[in-house]
Amino acid sequence: MKMHASKAAPPVIPTASMADIAFLLIIFFMLTFTLEVDRTQVTLPRTELRFEVPKKAAYISVTEQGVIRASDGERQSTVIPEQDVLSFAAEVVAIQPDKEFALKADGAVPYKYIDTIMDSLKQANVRVIYLLSQAETVDQ
Amino acid sequence: MNFKKKEVGDEIPTSSMADIAFLLIIYFMLTTTFAATRGLDFALPEDDDSPPVIEPEDSVLVEILPGGDLLVDAKPMRVEEILDYLKPKLDNNPKKPVIIKPDPTAPYGAMVNVFDELRQGKEKIDHEVNVSIPTQREIDRFWL
Repeated sequence: MKMHASKAAPPVIPTASMADIAFLLIIFFMLTFTLEVDRTQVTLPRTELRFEVPKKAAYISVTEQGVIRASDGERQSTVIPEQDVLSFAAEVVAIQPDKEFALKADGAVPYKYIDTIMDSLKQANVRVIYLLSQAETVDQ
Repeated sequence: MNFKKKEVGDEIPTSSMADIAFLLIIYFMLTTTFAATRGLDFALPEDDDSPPVIEPEDSVLVEILPGGDLLVDAKPMRVEEILDYLKPKLDNNPKKPVIIKPDPTAPYGAMVNVFDELRQGKEKIDHEVNVSIPTQREIDRFWL
């Protein structure tokens, strides 16, 4: 019987579909991409109830030392003095009256800072604020 | 003179497309954040010069002391006991307002704990709790 010599397969990694996979991944990341407008490092209080903050919400963050940063949801947050929170919120609400605000405050910050911010937001006719929190786990 | 025309291939060069695609992927992977933004929603009342006057005896007052301890209607209480205390009162009057009044030096986290507990009234005691958090300015102006 005559045996044919086996054909040697060329050592090639098939990469034809790599670009397709790459573009699928790009589309996924583009759809889920949100630019973080506030990168203030705080230890958020823990809560059992947590609701998703709408995209493009305005942010006000307060560190444990009482440093306040604000962002209209479009631009990166900047440090503002406590007494400017009202004018900042009024400007944002004047452009978009139903704009939601997210309050990202450290759990250990003295309440007087939050009181001032809440009062300013009320005076600026902000309708809804989100008190940002982290998930409370069962063992805590 | 004899000019030779080079033949131009009719293919779009795609050899660098995968490199560009992976660069974009790396950019999006490094800048993407996933659902880190969640919290408790709180509807603010309109700033009104003449808000409805509530007599203190018609409401339940939750005071948060400087260390984070609680006084509910002047009685010391733990967070997880508040809803049990409220249940008979809300059975009588489901719209009874609950006022949270934190001390200016109390930690913000203590206020959020109390608010979180009260927001769970519907699930735990079958009553939605009408929570109010007046600011110091409102307390100075309207507190009876």
